[in-house]
Amino acid sequence: MFIDLTIFFTLSLVIVVSFSVNQNLNQEEYRSKAQKHVRNQWDNLEAMNPHRAAHYGSYAFKPINILNSMDGGVNDITGNVLKLEGHVQNEIVYSEASQSLTISKFGKLKSSLLLQYVVPLLLIFLSYGSISSEKETQRLKLLIFQGISLRKLIFSKSLSIWIYGLVLLIMTIIIQCVFLSDIDLETFQRILLIIFSYGSYYYIITGLATFLSARLINNTSALASILAIWIVWTIFLPKIWGNSVEKIHPLPSRQNFKSAMKEERSKGIDGHNPTDKRREELKSRYLTEYKVDSLNQLPINFDGIVMQEDEEYGNLVWDKHFGNNYLILQKQKFLYQLSGIINPFASLQSTSMGFCGTDMIHHLGFLKEAENYRRYLIKALNDKHAFGGSKTGDWRWSVDGSFFKTIKEFDYQTPMIMNQINHYFVDLICLIWFGLFVTVMIAFKTNKTMII
Amino acid sequence: MKIYMTIAQSEFAHFKRSPFKVISLILFLIAIIYGCQNGYDLLKRHNAEIMSIKSINEDSINKAIIQFEEIEKGTIDKPRRDPTIPYWAIWNTPSYAFKYPSPMMVFSLGQSEQYGYYKRVTNWSTIFDSDLAEEIANPERIAIGTLDFNFVLLYLSPILMIILLFNIGGLEKDLKFDQLIYLNNITKKDWLLSRFTFYYLIIFCSIFCSMLPYALASQVFQYEMSQFFKLIILISLYILLWTSLFYFINFFGKGSSDQAIKMISTWLTFCIIIPGAIHQISSLKYPTNYMTDYLDVSREQESEIFKLPADTSRMKLLEKFPRLKNTLYAADTSINKSIINRSLSGLVNILNKNVGYKIENSNEEKNEFINKFSMVNPIVFFQNKINQITKTDYYAYKNYRSDIQEMIDKKIKLILDDTWDKIIVDKARYVQYVESFK
Repeated sequence: MFIDLTIFFTLSLVIVVSFSVNQNLNQEEYRSKAQKHVRNQWDNLEAMNPHRAAHYGSYAFKPINILNSMDGGVNDITGNVLKLEGHVQNEIVYSEASQSLTISKFGKLKSSLLLQYVVPLLLIFLSYGSISSEKETQRLKLLIFQGISLRKLIFSKSLSIWIYGLVLLIMTIIIQCVFLSDIDLETFQRILLIIFSYGSYYYIITGLATFLSARLINNTSALASILAIWIVWTIFLPKIWGNSVEKIHPLPSRQNFKSAMKEERSKGIDGHNPTDKRREELKSRYLTEYKVDSLNQLPINFDGIVMQEDEEYGNLVWDKHFGNNYLILQKQKFLYQLSGIINPFASLQSTSMGFCGTDMIHHLGFLKEAENYRRYLIKALNDKHAFGGSKTGDWRWSVDGSFFKTIKEFDYQTPMIMNQINHYFVDLICLIWFGLFVTVMIAFKTNKTMII
Repeated sequence: MKIYMTIAQSEFAHFKRSPFKVISLILFLIAIIYGCQNGYDLLKRHNAEIMSIKSINEDSINKAIIQFEEIEKGTIDKPRRDPTIPYWAIWNTPSYAFKYPSPMMVFSLGQSEQYGYYKRVTNWSTIFDSDLAEEIANPERIAIGTLDFNFVLLYLSPILMIILLFNIGGLEKDLKFDQLIYLNNITKKDWLLSRFTFYYLIIFCSIFCSMLPYALASQVFQYEMSQFFKLIILISLYILLWTSLFYFINFFGKGSSDQAIKMISTWLTFCIIIPGAIHQISSLKYPTNYMTDYLDVSREQESEIFKLPADTSRMKLLEKFPRLKNTLYAADTSINKSIINRSLSGLVNILNKNVGYKIENSNEEKNEFINKFSMVNPIVFFQNKINQITKTDYYAYKNYRSDIQEMIDKKIKLILDDTWDKIIVDKARYVQYVESFK
């Protein structure tokens, strides 16, 4: 049975991994083409006013991590395209989920789906009868009379099935690595952490199933109990708790978020409104600094100064509000992670997404990097507008297209996992805690009275 | 008939004596209520948000009317964006496109968390603007999924059925007295069928009764009676589908454990593996669209239009909107750059509409591809059918995008007609604009 199962699993795995790696490469190629296309347009911009170029803007296309082929995490439901332009921080749009009918509630068939749902179920099927069958056939009595310690028997049964699970896991990783040719140290570290997380979860599942097999009267009771636990862990709790954390730490509605930002921003300088009070103050400051009486006498273009000042004020407002949302999201994540105390599957899901670089933390990291790039881009354009040689009010002044080529391209790199590991400590601790709990249960809650 | 009643009675006794099964049923009912409550909360939130935007719009309209009165009285000067010019008056007319939630949303959130449901529409808007993004939400929570009624029905009801049915006929085989039963003047088929019917009715009635309070609370019977009954029919068919599958598993099963393993494997295959595989294949065939065609229109082609000389733009406008030939400005041979500039959104809108059709068509191709698998992917088929009934599926939001496009077209029509007819907007005209976007 083991050999048949292993052959079947390996074949399925090769198909699943090859599909997901191909899909990943295909999508990344498509993304890369889009990014190059947009950059090409930017590089070929004709001579124009820098502020017009700020409105023309650029786009950041969310890159696809190499381990996305293993666990897609939040990538299917988050947007992929972010417009970077002056005056405004846009929202990331065009998620895959919004482009078709709903397909799967549990995501694409990637190795994570097999490792999170199929392998644990397989381990349950292998372990639920490991001790209870021995009891039903009375072989357990024989084994005990021959001097075998019940505790050792349970541990060894549990470990042997766990090792089988580990073999499937390692095989998955090896096949994944074969398909992914360019694995660097960073990816390797992430893979090691993935192995640790899944390995811990498999230990918990096999340990618990074997424990229940030893404790309960017969095969049916053992199977029913462990299946009930599996259902609660994988289907019930993640959704119930996921919804609840959002109610405990609610996020603002988009309308409220936008209007609060708009209101605060309106207190700043509107780059296009010459009667603005704060603009007048800024004007006086610059006239004094350059010791001139009017804007026409300034050797710089005051409009560029005003627009950059407005940007910086807008950035402060955005940092405050986005920072607030970020804090709420982090609180929600932490609270969700705490459910790992009673649900190791929550910890597994969180670490799997996190170590594959496809969770919310990585998504928010991308958004922050894109915003930093937007600030760099707009500042470069505003500075050119202010100090590039034009005079105030000269909106027809334009810079040569070669200037736009000097602005560096947006290049997002997935952060190093060791710099992000603090986000996943809770999950790792919960997995270790649960592993210890199962070990203690087997060590102290199984006694010889059960063999009768 | 009497024998079937006796079987049902003894089945009820068996059910009552199984705390594991009773607790599972209670948990299932709690999940339904929790799911419906989630839907009900979202329905209320959407309605409240729409009401709040409408109220802000009313304030804005009142302010604009006061402004017109003051301008007409001469107590204030016209502002930089002169509201007596049709372009600015229409620009300042609050026009929001709303995707009003169906009361049936209580029973399925569907794809409602993937899309925005309100949008301020201007003559420069498009159906793919970034302000149509979904509500701010925790992406991990959305990826894990919301526990709504639809989820409970499609994914948890088969699990409840596994718990209730796995030892039906299996226990007798485990204890090896199954042959004794068939000596009692009943066939295996009828015996299993009557026991399965009992559980079918229990599950169906439980679901139906739990839905009723939420159907009443959200006024489903008032507005969506027929859709509600369609949903009930779908539910009965869905439960029948699983009951039939499990019936065959138990009929040919070798015992409780064997049946439980086969049932859970069937669930895993139909609920996770097959939809996941189809999801993967469809993504491979139709990768995520980065909308570069649309981005090109909004940047490259749009700026090409702005670069056109005023007389060329005028000719293009007359060509694309022949009715303008009957306007005051059309009769005038001089070039008025202000009028032309205020009309350019009409030309940009044509480009946006063309690219919009292209994108919608490509999405439609993907949907057709997904639908081809309905026979082997019944769960997703039922899921999308329920989403369709509750107006939370892709097509409900596609219709919403069509509504937005209609509103954009209407804005542009008004701008072009009144600008080219050199209308001076007064309070009465402004009120007409407001009315036309209500």
